[in-house]
Amino acid sequence: MAYPYTHEKEVRILSKHFGEPEARTVEGWKARGGYQTLTKAFEMGRDAIINEVKASGLRGRGGAGFPAGVKWSFMPKEKTRPHYLLCNADESEPGTFKDRELLRWTPHQLIEGMIISAYAIQAEECYVYCRGEFFETTAVLAKAVEDAYEAGYLGQNILGSGVNVDITVHCGGGAYICGEETALMNSLEGRRGTPRVKPPFPAQAGYMMMPSTVNNVETLSSVPFIIQEGADAYRANGTEESPGTKLFCVSGHVRRPGNYELPLGFPLMELIEDVCGGMREGRKLKGVIPGGSSVPILNAEECADCEMSFEGVIEAGSQLGCAAVIVMDDSTDMVQAVRRMVDFYTHESCGQCTPCREGSSWTGKILKRIEEGRGTEEDLDTLMEVTSQMEGTTICVLSDSVAAPVQSSILKYREEYLARIRTGEKVGAAS
Amino acid sequence: MSDQQTPNTVTFTLDGQEVTVPKGTTILRAAESIGIKIPHYCFHPGLSSPAMCRLCLVEVEGWPRMAPSCKETAQDGMVVFTNSELAQKQRTGVLEFYLVNHPLDCPICDQSGECDLQDYVFEEGREHGRGREPKRVLGRDDFGGDVLFNGDRCVMCTRCVRFMREVAEDERLCVVERGNRAVIDTFFEEGLEGSPYAGNIIDICPVGALISKDFLHKARAWDLDRTPSVCPSCSQGCNITLQVRDDLVQRLKPRENLEVNGWWMCDFGRHNYEWMNRTDRTEVPMVRGQEVGWADALGDLLQALKDAKESVKAVTWAHAPNEEMGLLSGLLAELGGGEVVYRSPRTEGEVPLPGFPLLARREDLAPNVNGAEIFGFRRVGDNNSQGGLDELAGHDGVLIVVGDPIEDYGEDFGSKAELYVYLGSYQSKTASNAHFVLPITTFAEQEGTYTNVQGRVQRFWPGVRSPASARPGWLILGALVAELTGTEAPVSADQAFAKIAEKTSEFGGITYRDLGPRGAVAGKPAGVSGD
Amino acid sequence: MSEARKIPFRNPGWAGNTGEFDLTEAQVRGDEYVGKRPPEGGHASGASTYPYMLAERDPEAPIFDGPFKERLEKIRSRYPDARSALLPALGMAQELRGYLSPETMEQVAGLLDLSPAYVRGVATFYTMYNKRPVGRFLIQVCTNISCGICGGDDVLQAFLNNTETELGETSEDGNFTVIEAECLAGCGFPTTVQINSRYYENVMPKDVPEILERLKAQGE
Repeated sequence: MAYPYTHEKEVRILSKHFGEPEARTVEGWKARGGYQTLTKAFEMGRDAIINEVKASGLRGRGGAGFPAGVKWSFMPKEKTRPHYLLCNADESEPGTFKDRELLRWTPHQLIEGMIISAYAIQAEECYVYCRGEFFETTAVLAKAVEDAYEAGYLGQNILGSGVNVDITVHCGGGAYICGEETALMNSLEGRRGTPRVKPPFPAQAGYMMMPSTVNNVETLSSVPFIIQEGADAYRANGTEESPGTKLFCVSGHVRRPGNYELPLGFPLMELIEDVCGGMREGRKLKGVIPGGSSVPILNAEECADCEMSFEGVIEAGSQLGCAAVIVMDDSTDMVQAVRRMVDFYTHESCGQCTPCREGSSWTGKILKRIEEGRGTEEDLDTLMEVTSQMEGTTICVLSDSVAAPVQSSILKYREEYLARIRTGEKVGAAS
Repeated sequence: MSDQQTPNTVTFTLDGQEVTVPKGTTILRAAESIGIKIPHYCFHPGLSSPAMCRLCLVEVEGWPRMAPSCKETAQDGMVVFTNSELAQKQRTGVLEFYLVNHPLDCPICDQSGECDLQDYVFEEGREHGRGREPKRVLGRDDFGGDVLFNGDRCVMCTRCVRFMREVAEDERLCVVERGNRAVIDTFFEEGLEGSPYAGNIIDICPVGALISKDFLHKARAWDLDRTPSVCPSCSQGCNITLQVRDDLVQRLKPRENLEVNGWWMCDFGRHNYEWMNRTDRTEVPMVRGQEVGWADALGDLLQALKDAKESVKAVTWAHAPNEEMGLLSGLLAELGGGEVVYRSPRTEGEVPLPGFPLLARREDLAPNVNGAEIFGFRRVGDNNSQGGLDELAGHDGVLIVVGDPIEDYGEDFGSKAELYVYLGSYQSKTASNAHFVLPITTFAEQEGTYTNVQGRVQRFWPGVRSPASARPGWLILGALVAELTGTEAPVSADQAFAKIAEKTSEFGGITYRDLGPRGAVAGKPAGVSGD
Repeated sequence: MSEARKIPFRNPGWAGNTGEFDLTEAQVRGDEYVGKRPPEGGHASGASTYPYMLAERDPEAPIFDGPFKERLEKIRSRYPDARSALLPALGMAQELRGYLSPETMEQVAGLLDLSPAYVRGVATFYTMYNKRPVGRFLIQVCTNISCGICGGDDVLQAFLNNTETELGETSEDGNFTVIEAECLAGCGFPTTVQINSRYYENVMPKDVPEILERLKAQGE
């Protein structure tokens, strides 16, 4: 049997060849139609590629959803210094596990996308910043890159076109914050992975202070399809504002968690109930974190009409982020779950900005106290205020990510906190 | 104000005031220029701005997020608020975060009284903190050299790390770990020992995290009197502040002067102050072994000088101020000429501060070698400021010693002199043959100027009270010259300077007023130190 | 609780059972494709992607000689400056020695012309560099949100119980060190466990003894 996480409602473009070991090889990839867009892309020329990607409406898949073509157009038109294309494969947002699948099953799809993208932004040097923990995955990618060099798809004068592209696979050292693009560049430079103040933006001064573009694995992997089939074909899926398909990483209390590629705008409840096989037996939906742990939690009511597009999730009161859907049923101890997320951010805060460095650990300590039944009602007010002091006051948005689950859970599951405060009793606990 | 606008300036609104500043000026600096202080920790004018303390955020009309004023440059038409409700709330919030893990041990903290955390919290902090959780304890660490690190007080501004990286270019400090576990540290046991400028990190630490072992618990900041001065430990002439308690110099701190030392000074100079507190002082005028009043002493001396028949020789040192040297030179001219020699310690090699190329610990370890050269004094003695005075020791004419206690010679120094005048601050066995022992004040006790290695004339002010009867050297020498020439004696240091400036082309045309607190370069120095 | 947590099939990452997925473990992990990697780094583009947690290591190994020196040269050739090679170099040092001692940091600093304090600052920023010795198998159990709500803490406890260690301590036989990990990006396959360089997914407490046995056997 092929890749087990499939469903008939899926529209498999990126994930079409998941679970096929042969797709990892150059020959296997070519047999699946791979590497055929390169010549076309080089013939189209840079501006046409950027325009096509702009027209496709492809939005960054790393979480922010910024249109990829627009991002590329920020790169200087006249190349006077080296340009860099950096692929963000530092997948570490809790709930996200799509990039690892893309890297280990279809590495050539990424390489192909990177060659086209690098050509478009006049970058000859590309780095794939892989999450350090992905040893097995990066080994596959490294082998694929090596094979692509051998086959002449990488290096000097690719396919006789005069285009030069080098890809280097780089391993991180284990730091969530390096998924933030400026922290990633610092880390790639061999520094502490602390985010930089913007401006200057990466397109002006990025890696080595040279013009750079950072794109997510999924974003770059989407490029070959757009170039091959055209923007209209890409727009055949998804919504007007969120075109295309997206890998939804569903985890938590569903029967069939996994990666499902669906058109953006797919209804959340259908994703949970149908694609993922519904909640576990005898359990009811309590809440969903729709975009990785950094976004506000949606309660069951808000989930009901939520459409999984960038705009749809905002309408429901949260954000799509990287479409990491964490489903929680009524056995979930919300206080503990939120505390665990805050502990994560405390652990991963780079420590530069005071609100984040001090605020995350303080928030975590208060939550721990509440969890242990030693909280007070004022603690909830303190939490709301402390987290509001952490919003929008720091260099990057990690600090805001602490605020999101804390504030949304207090607003939506206040009675659970209160029960814990008053009686020390766990509300959701199943056991 | 808009009429002042040129292509190189921008005009924007800051707290309702229109401000015009050069293009590229940050909001924080622009605010400073009109007297609005924006609280900050990580920003320091001598270092890069990481904009990470988040205290200097200001509200900019129409911007979605607040802007770090230390990094954001002023743009035409920008409307900035440092005192809006949002900006104030932000500062109050950040200050609360700073206090979550701060030990609040101000009563035993040396920084207390000059602590930015204390000041800012007093101004804008919450009345009561809401932190109920146990505080993080990081403890203390001896960083080596003079630096003691108290991790619990640290606000993680990383000024110290950046100073060592960017200015000292001796990257011995780092931030270890991350998040709230982050702490400043050295490379394990390596420490800062031997890093010649490391002491500056104590100055730039906005709180009591980096403190001086030398100064540890010696004085409270508010008990110190602060006097602008010039470091006397080498010919660089770093601008400093004498910090004095009960007439004892407790520590030296650098004073900003972008032409000389920036915000920095070397550890050698910083710690070379104990001699300013020497107690073996000459205290009253002595004439032939008898204590006398100043009027009698000067009267007798004047007569003795007029009566003297033989040639005059004088010796001084490179610690003497310009005024003292100039009037000594003038006195010798009135006495029929005669050579002045001087001695000054010297070491091999300069110790530069790589990130601020104007500054180096110079080879000449005294402040006024350049002054001595300008007055045409001849350098004698070795690099330890010893020897070279054999001829003077046995001179049978008039012998004048100004300043130099000549501790390397014996009691028979000057025994053959017809007239031996010792103007000194310290008791010395070589003064035992002196007919006149006249107590003079040290640089720390008087006003005066030094000429540094760049030829820059820099003023210093009295920060310590002198022993009861000691007088500035220029006052005594000036009175003698005046009597001999029938002119008016200088009664203040600026008059003394004006007198020497008349006759010294290198100082021509400048006055104390021109010099101000940061000095000025007059003419080209006649001889550069070390020739 | 465990009743409700039934997951219909086992994930391929956990090599003991590839469930409905009829591929071999080597195919799933990609080993079959990657093959044996040469110590000198293979193609320079991937020279920095070697696992830096291995069971076999020598705390006295030189920094660096032979093939490792060659590999570092390859890595350096891919970046505009030496500093960029710092993370891969630290990784190699750990691959050889198992952890980064002060001496190791100093040696790496010397190779790349950086200050030791700088290297310490960088090394301590990242969690994957061990700053003290660990067991031959470093077991990292994800207890973050997705694994956590599906029983990550129980799996962690099972590892601790079965290795008879405390969190972060090394077992008496020197084989195991169990630590809590932040999200390993295997959220759909809870609980995700990383042991040295390998991922184990859908791990349940009952699987733990089997995994440990397998590791022990691997080490002999």
